[in-house]
Amino acid sequence: MTQTVPLDPGTAAASETVRTPWSEFWRKFRKQPVALTALAFVALLIVLAVLAPWIVPYDAENYFDYDQLNAGPSWSHWLGVDPLGRDIFSRILMGARISLATGILSVALGGLVGTALGLLAGYYEGWWDRIVMRISDVLFAFPGILLAIGVVAILGSSMINVVVAVSVFSVPAFARLVRGNTLVLKHMTYIEAVKSIGASDWTILVRHILPGTISSIVVYFTMRLGTSIITAASLSFLGMGAQPPTPEWGAMLNDARADMVNAPHVALFPSLAIFFTVLAFNLLGDGLRDALDPKIDRT
Amino acid sequence: MKTLLHRGRRLALGLLAVMALGATPALAEKDPVLAISNPPETLDPYNTNTTLTTAVTKSFYEGLFGFDKDLKVQPVLAESYTVSDDGLVYTFKLREGVKFHDGTDFNSEAVKVTLERVLNPDNKLLRYNQFNRIEKVEATAPHEVKITLKEPFSAFINSLAHASAAMLSPAALAKYGNKDIALHPVGTGPFVFEDWKQTDYIKGRKFDGYWKAGYPKIDSITWKPVPENNTRAAMLQTGEADFAFTLPYEQAAALEANDKLNVTTAPSIILRYVSFNMLHKPFDDLRVRQAINYAINKEALAKVAFNGFAAPAQGIVPEGVAFAYKMDPWPYDPAKARELLKEAGYPDGFESTLWSGYTTTTAQKTIQFLQQQLAQVGIKVQIQALEPGQRTELVNAWPDPQTAKVRMYYIGWSSSTGEADWALRPLLSTEAWPPGLSNTSYYSNKTVDELLAKALRTTKDDEKTDLYRQAQEQIMKDAPWAPLVTEKILYATSQRLSGIYVQPDGNIDASEIAVSE
Repeated sequence: MTQTVPLDPGTAAASETVRTPWSEFWRKFRKQPVALTALAFVALLIVLAVLAPWIVPYDAENYFDYDQLNAGPSWSHWLGVDPLGRDIFSRILMGARISLATGILSVALGGLVGTALGLLAGYYEGWWDRIVMRISDVLFAFPGILLAIGVVAILGSSMINVVVAVSVFSVPAFARLVRGNTLVLKHMTYIEAVKSIGASDWTILVRHILPGTISSIVVYFTMRLGTSIITAASLSFLGMGAQPPTPEWGAMLNDARADMVNAPHVALFPSLAIFFTVLAFNLLGDGLRDALDPKIDRT
Repeated sequence: MKTLLHRGRRLALGLLAVMALGATPALAEKDPVLAISNPPETLDPYNTNTTLTTAVTKSFYEGLFGFDKDLKVQPVLAESYTVSDDGLVYTFKLREGVKFHDGTDFNSEAVKVTLERVLNPDNKLLRYNQFNRIEKVEATAPHEVKITLKEPFSAFINSLAHASAAMLSPAALAKYGNKDIALHPVGTGPFVFEDWKQTDYIKGRKFDGYWKAGYPKIDSITWKPVPENNTRAAMLQTGEADFAFTLPYEQAAALEANDKLNVTTAPSIILRYVSFNMLHKPFDDLRVRQAINYAINKEALAKVAFNGFAAPAQGIVPEGVAFAYKMDPWPYDPAKARELLKEAGYPDGFESTLWSGYTTTTAQKTIQFLQQQLAQVGIKVQIQALEPGQRTELVNAWPDPQTAKVRMYYIGWSSSTGEADWALRPLLSTEAWPPGLSNTSYYSNKTVDELLAKALRTTKDDEKTDLYRQAQEQIMKDAPWAPLVTEKILYATSQRLSGIYVQPDGNIDASEIAVSE
């Protein structure tokens, strides 16, 4: 005797939409057209940056045409020509490589160090926590750009030092964020459970607490990218970062200063490049936050 | 980003102001504001090598002689002079009835005190070298001075006409001392020093006891250092300044289109060049130095960095300086440059540094252009524009020639005495190695040294011409420099201002300055 249990249509539907964190994220994220656009822009930018050396119409550093100084946009030079006769479009494309690389590298470096410090501080508390947090407070007291200028002034002008400088001021932000999360997480029941079966501190930190902080780290990472790109560009604008003839966006703006009154496009396009990139990262960050925060559900 | 926004905003405001206030004169009557590109580092004319600084000190000080707007020597506080046959003793008759701002009389004693101050090595004044051929100064009568030289010095009167050879009030010198006189200029000039706000302005008011009747024709004078090129141009457009020098070449056309302004272009004796540190590889090799000269397209440089307000340099001393010898510019020939580098053992080029002694946008463009050009023949240079402090520390005051870090150095020079001596000796003689003077090539050629010394002792013009020609030819052959361009002077005044001229050396002659209305 067999009894056929009729399939419950409700159960079937539910099994199709198992709510994994990833699907949950994507469900919320795709409902935000602004964030999706930002994501598309960032993706496009990354593709362009990676392919730049092969797709630029002109050599960004060694091509020059002295008969077309400051010429406006045209078919042969889509974004015009700069005061030294170079193709602005090619330079902006190559500049995207530098800006993205500096932004990602510096935030990654700052995020890595900051997360490690924050985890340890939040988990062990005590004197170690106080030291880490007081140092963070001191670093927080400086405006970011000032701190970065200070670091570059000590280390010397170069793009690598800009990465170091920008990551230095990312460290305290990550440390504080991760520490806060860790403090909350370590009192959760599941952590107590893990402890009770004798897991080592290392296992608890890396396998059980860190994953719980990942979503806020990802959001903050994306937001921070925008700030870092701006700071790096500012340092180059001030002559402390990329050195000529490197086509860094901030350095391009600096080169454009003398001619921007007569030929606004030489300053306009690098500015737009910085503007849209930073905007895209910030909007993407906003979208990620909305999608990753369990407290926000706009459905 | 703050700076960026700030600059942007200032510019936007400037542009708005141009549109809105173009016609409004923003100043009180007869108090013109003169905008200049660099803040003076001192007001002691004997302790600066900066031309623009002496343009400011001329408002307060005068010398025995001066230059008119075409760099012709004119008597000022001296009325006449005679020279002994051996060229060693000069006797000057001084102008009578001249008073210093502090009310004391200008007389032969003042000349003696002033010159003995610069001649005293303990005072460590930068202009010491300009006067060190003086043996002694004697006040033979209240208004007669006798100056004896150690050896004949044919450029002597030109040296005295230089703006640095200003007459100081002995009473003020005693009161303020050797150092502080720099903050309290007291001379016989048309304006009495009033106020110096370091980076803001320098102000003088009309000297009522001025010896030249009817002068000055304005009530006060205000020098305003404005380092930012675009701001200076905007100040002119808004009426905030009546005069501006230097002006960004990029904006010449826009300024000319403004009918409230008079824009003037004039030839200059300002030469821009790159010096090579000849004590170091690879610049010790003549072929490398020649290669660099061949690798640079001077015509294009004049166009790119100077917007056409410059011409390829024709030799070592620019036209307009007495005893300059005109030579053809180095031809532009990158193929030949590569060949010479190969011969010298650098088939793939080499790496080096190129510094600029200025931070102006023109200089920034120039060094970027040079970087671009040199890259075409395989020479990779790192470029850096030095701030004035760095420039002094790393170049002009570097104590040991052997360890000097300067390699290729972009700089310029104008002979403020209008004479070949001051265009060659401070830059290319062995005695002029830094620290001290400006032989940044560390060039040393006995023949050249002797020719220059001989020319100074000669009083006959044709002999001098020949000696200087030989020296300049020899230097061109040795190529311690890459001579680049002779700059043109560009300045502008408001319609109401007249009688102010920029001289070919980049100094300013404001002796006839007047304001209409």
